[in-house]
Amino acid sequence: MDLNSIPWMLILPVLIIQLLLIIVAVIDLYRVKYTNGPKWMWALIIICFSIIGPVIYFIVGRRNE
Amino acid sequence: MNNFSILFRKEWRENVRNFKILWIPLVFILFGISEPLTYYYLPQILNAVGNVPSDMVFQLPEYTPDQIIMSTIGQYQFIGMLIVAFGFAGIIARERKNGTATMLYVRPISYTGYVFSKLAIMGILIIGSACIGLLANVYYTNVLYGAVDAVAFIGFLGTYSIWLLFAICVVICSSAAFSTGIASVVSILLLVVVQLVDSLLGTYWTISPWKLPMYAGQILNGNLDKTPFFWSLTVTVVVVVLLVVLAVYLAKRNVSKAKI
Repeated sequence: MDLNSIPWMLILPVLIIQLLLIIVAVIDLYRVKYTNGPKWMWALIIICFSIIGPVIYFIVGRRNE
Repeated sequence: MNNFSILFRKEWRENVRNFKILWIPLVFILFGISEPLTYYYLPQILNAVGNVPSDMVFQLPEYTPDQIIMSTIGQYQFIGMLIVAFGFAGIIARERKNGTATMLYVRPISYTGYVFSKLAIMGILIIGSACIGLLANVYYTNVLYGAVDAVAFIGFLGTYSIWLLFAICVVICSSAAFSTGIASVVSILLLVVVQLVDSLLGTYWTISPWKLPMYAGQILNGNLDKTPFFWSLTVTVVVVVLLVVLAVYLAKRNVSKAKI
């Protein structure tokens, strides 16, 4: 499968939104003081699990206090 | 009403600061887009990732646009409800715990305005993002599978929004009643587990709030059974009003539980 046959116009929004989610999560991780559990673990989770990682971070990792 | 607008501004600022205003719409859009794409490119994806023998022939069913939209609703009903329940279970309970409540409760606020400010911010966040996500989804479905009837889609969106309103009220009410942990368990139970039970045993009754998403799908493919649909809608609206009243009462009663 060569690169030109991939319909980039359709796939691109998905990639952009995933990237945005990761960026938002990383910025938030950088700004907050404390998280539930070590920060480097959350950084790994955010970057390695593309869709679910940032969501899990926002729901579980963030201390809303 | 002045009370409400001040409390609403506080909610808005809080949700901007914890990025909920950004990531919840993004997640809903992502699931809305990826559903039609995965279905459409499933043969190519299978060819690319699995070592399928080349002489093997796949017999994939032909999907219609409304089936794709319904399968997106299936995603929203599970992942979306998990986000709603876990992300917002603390919306009132957390304030009692971390001391925001004491700052609020020493002032002469009206609890109706307080609960309605929560309702408004959750409504904007969740119903808004679900609608944006479904619009993105219908755009992709339109490109890949074919057109959807616009009037039917608006009816579908309205019905699904009523269901989301019900979900929001369940979460707010349980958050007013219990602590954060218990509230999230209760909301999951009411939104996800009861929904499963309703879909398994639900052939015996036709009127229930948990059937609204199903009726929304029926609006979309054009064979809607009108009488049970309108009754379910009525029941849901009545339950929503009752839950709001209950939430106001419980928020007032649980003031004494606030940690100082």
